[in-house]
Amino acid sequence: MTDDEKFFAWLDGELAPEDAAEMDARVAADPELARLAEQHRKLGNRLSAAFDPIAQAPVPEQLVAAARPSGHVIDFEAAKRARGIPSFPQWTALAATLAVGIFVGTIVQQRGSTPIEVQGGKIYAAAALNRALDTQLASAPSGDVRIGVTFRDRTGEICRTFTETASSGLACRSNGRWRVNGLFASPEGQASDYRMAGGMDPNLAALMDSTIAGEPFDAAAEKAAKAGGWK
Amino acid sequence: MALLPRLRRFAHGLSRNSADADDLTQATIERALRSREQWQEGTRLDSWSYRIMRNLWIDTARSQSRRAVREAPEEEGLAVGEDPRDAMDAAVDLRRIMSAMSRLPDEQREIVALILVEGFGYREVSEMLGLPIGTVSSRLVRGRTALLAMVGEQ
Repeated sequence: MTDDEKFFAWLDGELAPEDAAEMDARVAADPELARLAEQHRKLGNRLSAAFDPIAQAPVPEQLVAAARPSGHVIDFEAAKRARGIPSFPQWTALAATLAVGIFVGTIVQQRGSTPIEVQGGKIYAAAALNRALDTQLASAPSGDVRIGVTFRDRTGEICRTFTETASSGLACRSNGRWRVNGLFASPEGQASDYRMAGGMDPNLAALMDSTIAGEPFDAAAEKAAKAGGWK
Repeated sequence: MALLPRLRRFAHGLSRNSADADDLTQATIERALRSREQWQEGTRLDSWSYRIMRNLWIDTARSQSRRAVREAPEEEGLAVGEDPRDAMDAAVDLRRIMSAMSRLPDEQREIVALILVEGFGYREVSEMLGLPIGTVSSRLVRGRTALLAMVGEQ
């Protein structure tokens, strides 16, 4: 590393602590170096001031449209809008398509973090997931599980989409319990980003589109369905 | 955090003007969607997307911007002569800085954009671009030194 490189690495906080301390001392003792540091700090601030507003500005519609991975997601977004749920940046939907979609069956038991139980070859919601599906309304999220859309499927059963720490999925009523019909893993280390951004896995959206009969429930219908024991 | 606004900012760091930047962003989204099977779970989605954008820029936009630089020397001359202290408006300064960055050699510009604008660390950029960290470091020194000389901080 040349002296110049060392100086700038110091400025960028890239030096190891002992080297940084040495450079601290050199800059403190050398007005020319101190002036250079000041100029480059200003340049850095100026670059941020110029470019950061781009990252904070709304993304042009044509780019948002380009990030929509499929018609399914557009449909899903329309469904969300119909329920008054804010639409989230589509890029998160792209991110979610990059996740490996896992249909429940073999792999899910190894993941451990999604509360489910397997009985007679069928997978049911358990613990916190089961409680959330039973009691939580989309309009009042609480805890780690968030409920998305509630609807009736083509067999007449009530289904609900959910998102939790490591995955999102679809659960439908089956003999008085919540049977998990689809579960999609989020990429490790990025799960919380998706949850915060509210991004929906397009695989889940596609599954929902293929099973829904009619329109998703609105808030009143969701509340009524809860009161009626999800029958 | 949504990635799209950050990618758009990076595109502005690479491109000569906003129209080119948004074209580059759109091409990147399309490429990323087409090749999403190639993204590996457990690796960073942002680095992967930035790399796609950078490669597309090398393939196409870079040659366009070279041509544009040759064709538009007067506009650049005007930008250089303005006093940065008058540039209270970030949009005005953005144009001036984009113009200055477009005159950096490409291999310096991408590193200045990734480290000074996007905030990546040296190691991250070295892995993203497949370059030795010493190369990243030396290009960054040259790029930021040239940039400072061009936009002239008093």
